[in-house]
Amino acid sequence: MKVVTGVIGNDIHVVANRLMDLSLTARGYEVFNLGVNTYLEEFFDAAVETGAEILLISSLNGEAEGWGREVKLLKAKYKSLDGLTMMIGGNLTVGSGNAEDIVTRFKNYGFDLVCHQVDLNTGLDMLEEYMQEQKHS
Amino acid sequence: MSQLQEEREIILGNENVDSFDFDEVREFVKGADEKLFISHHFANKSKMLVQPRGGFPTYEKQFALYEFFVDANVDVLPLTIDSNTRLNDYTTAKKMLRLSEANEVDMLNGYPLVNHGYRSTRKMMTHFNHPVSLRHGTPDARLLIEIAIASGIFEIEGGPITYLLPYSKNFPLDKAFLYWKYVERVCADYSTLNKPINRESFGPLTATLVPPSITIVIQLLEMLLSLEEGVKSFSVSFSQQGSMIQDIVTGKVTRQLADYYAAQIGCEDASIHLVYHQWMGAFPMNRDSADQLINMSTVIASMVGADKIITKTREEAVGIPTKEANAQTVANTQYTLNILGGLPAITDEQEEEILTAEVHAIMEAVFNDPADTLWRKVFNSIKNGIIDVPFSPHIINHNKMITIRDAQKNIRIIERGSVPIPDRCYEYERSCCDLNKDTTSIVNDIIHDIGIMQ
Amino acid sequence: MSTNNNKLLVDIGSTYFKVSTADSIEQHFRDFNKRILDDLMHKCGDIVQSYEPENVHICSSANGGLSTLIIGLTHSYSLKYATNIAYNSGINVIDSIVFQDIEEYSIPSDLIDVVIIVGGIDSNGGVFDERLTSYLDKLNYSNVVYVGNKNDAQEIAKTVERLEILPNIIDDRLHIVETHLKDYLTNLYQQDIEGKEDIKDLYEVTGNQIYSTPFVVNKSLPLIHTSFSVTDPFILLDIGGATTDVHYSKDLVSDNIVTEQGHDRIVFKKLGVYKSRQSLIFTAENNEYAYELLMHLKVTENIYNEHSEKATKILMQLAIFLVLCKMSHYRPAYVTLKLLAMNSIVFTGGITKVLNTEDIEDVVAFFYRKILNSDHKPVTVLDSDYDIWTLGATEHAACQ
Repeated sequence: MKVVTGVIGNDIHVVANRLMDLSLTARGYEVFNLGVNTYLEEFFDAAVETGAEILLISSLNGEAEGWGREVKLLKAKYKSLDGLTMMIGGNLTVGSGNAEDIVTRFKNYGFDLVCHQVDLNTGLDMLEEYMQEQKHS
Repeated sequence: MSQLQEEREIILGNENVDSFDFDEVREFVKGADEKLFISHHFANKSKMLVQPRGGFPTYEKQFALYEFFVDANVDVLPLTIDSNTRLNDYTTAKKMLRLSEANEVDMLNGYPLVNHGYRSTRKMMTHFNHPVSLRHGTPDARLLIEIAIASGIFEIEGGPITYLLPYSKNFPLDKAFLYWKYVERVCADYSTLNKPINRESFGPLTATLVPPSITIVIQLLEMLLSLEEGVKSFSVSFSQQGSMIQDIVTGKVTRQLADYYAAQIGCEDASIHLVYHQWMGAFPMNRDSADQLINMSTVIASMVGADKIITKTREEAVGIPTKEANAQTVANTQYTLNILGGLPAITDEQEEEILTAEVHAIMEAVFNDPADTLWRKVFNSIKNGIIDVPFSPHIINHNKMITIRDAQKNIRIIERGSVPIPDRCYEYERSCCDLNKDTTSIVNDIIHDIGIMQ
Repeated sequence: MSTNNNKLLVDIGSTYFKVSTADSIEQHFRDFNKRILDDLMHKCGDIVQSYEPENVHICSSANGGLSTLIIGLTHSYSLKYATNIAYNSGINVIDSIVFQDIEEYSIPSDLIDVVIIVGGIDSNGGVFDERLTSYLDKLNYSNVVYVGNKNDAQEIAKTVERLEILPNIIDDRLHIVETHLKDYLTNLYQQDIEGKEDIKDLYEVTGNQIYSTPFVVNKSLPLIHTSFSVTDPFILLDIGGATTDVHYSKDLVSDNIVTEQGHDRIVFKKLGVYKSRQSLIFTAENNEYAYELLMHLKVTENIYNEHSEKATKILMQLAIFLVLCKMSHYRPAYVTLKLLAMNSIVFTGGITKVLNTEDIEDVVAFFYRKILNSDHKPVTVLDSDYDIWTLGATEHAACQ
């Protein structure tokens, strides 16, 4: 299964990005890693060019709130991305916040899976489960 | 007028520079006190030099930081530059400097040297009369180093590879080589007037599981690029890797091969020094643990026989350290160096042999590139993945090499990518690790290996 | 390298032509009532005839270059990569189309020299459908090339006649692969120049291949320091009669593209001071600062209707301003350059015969002040003797 991944915005967390790449590869995904400092449009464009089933965005410096609202609007402009599974993980807000609220908010932004301060492997297990469910439903 | 001089006049004609007086600067360098030159201290030292890190936006705060350092018996002062200046954005740096001056809040993460200018900065440098090292991370440092040298800063850190691959995603690497060639030439030119200007490469790179062979190759190549332009004093460096024996072997092989390759291009007359960085990876949040880690680094630097050590602080995991914490590390490091005695001479011939063979093999592949200049050979080698730096964000880097720690915490290559690690060395490296696990467990090991000091 | 003392270099532009020998350089305004060869022989016959055909080297930009229309999947990859390759091969991009919205685009009426179709990495497929064919059916074009994913190539070839299939320009890491498309486009340009009746005539006086001018200029850029005091990063502006050509150092853009050359090229079609005079004026009238610039230059908008030396001068100053605007965040086009980091700005072409350094610096300073709020002042370099062209042509002639 093809996954497009990368770190969004003005964020240079290379280590996290590279580990995500290695972990996804280890789990058998075909990974397209856009690296750090990636724009939202580049993520969607990469999903189109590769024909990926999953888009997994990392955001580590708490900036996600800033662009989260734009996700739905931008995605709506693409005609071939309706089947794309959207996941986001990392540090989604600055400071502390109620994890449940954050998950709800980002689901409203258009993400199917939201992992706020969740350990990498737990997050990827969630992804695997979700994809299994999708297949059966 | 020479082509270099014409270029310098254009660079220094920048609107943020207040009339650069070439003749006056030359006279200043010519007559500068030898104590300002780290190359002089290297030549006459009886102990390892201690240098902290640090830069504040305003003149007053930088001055106050230096007072603390001098009280703590510092050997070399740092001048760390803010990130706007590193990206050549002097306009934003200027704005943020004004705000920092007006509000007592630091709006920059370093000293905006270009905006302060050389006339006032020089007053600070000559007042303290210590050697100063310029720490920045700038791909195009042409203007910055001109202002630095004119200010009395006679050590310039960085290089086209070590200041690009760890920091930038898309600055064109070929341009970085050309801009650093300018830096080398200007340093070489000033070096004829008084004691030599020292150039230092930045060995830690991404500070994340970089194997010693890659570190050493990049150190040697930046050294050669510098020496071939006429630089006479150069420091190769690396940071604490996590295994004491690997550090000792790395130090020894680095020194030997630096001399060997310098001689290969007829630069035996240049003096080469070894610099050791205290742990550059993720630091423990606990300040006491951080102090222990720093102390251990100092002991290993002594075992390595470094000429200079660059320190960290107990507040590393928290943010930009206070001047108090910073000065405390200097005092502690000096104390440890003072009381250390009777260090054993330790060697590991097998490890030395393997590492040497790896470095020679990569260097040979670089030299075999058909390009006509060394910088282009190196550029092509990075583009082709012959040199591959783990965890670099740059799009040109292949990111195909995978490294992991063995049971002794040595960094080992388990996937070499396109890097020409000789087969027998590769087999040896892999044989040191337990690779019979499933791949997810190996990734978990890597995550663990990055955070070993936390 | 052989000596070039015995070589004659000729550049045919849309407005001027230039003739360069070892000791002199001449330029002449073209007589549009004459064929190029007749005009050349009429004005410089003695010089041309004194050279053996194998020592005459000619380049041309007279035909305004080839035009392309690109159809791709996304802005960030297929369209961006194809546009970059097209410009660097000397081809002008007249439009780029995002395939999913292809039905919403109007069909250009002009003849398109080459259509480029691109999209998807090789393991992707099925990304194009019949909308592609129905668009192409309505389009008037001479060549069509496919550089997208492998899987779709054969399917498209079934419905699109004379489809040239080349390897994908997007690799599996989503990086650019330039070589094949670049070679194809460069050759196409070459054939086009040779095919033009007017240019074909010129083979009567030369035994060498005729090249495109931007190709020759791009060759000279790595050597520019040998003739001028130019400091990287810089841009080179060639404001001509019909188009304006910009070559810029790669570090002036933050593009995630690793390409071969240190300078990229872009063309602003219909931005020139003779053939494209009307569209230049139209662009100026739609720029809110142009009026202020005219005031600053102490003229009124009436200047647009004048045909004097003064009017030409003002139009050229306007052209400089408009090109800089198009490359800044103010009017973003295909690229936005980091103009505050630019150290030198080099001018070549006809403009250097009309404006002096002060005229140019005045406009450049106006641009920086008004648009970028800065006192930045890149060093202006005027290539008034066509040294850059000579450098490229000489270098090229020496290699032949």
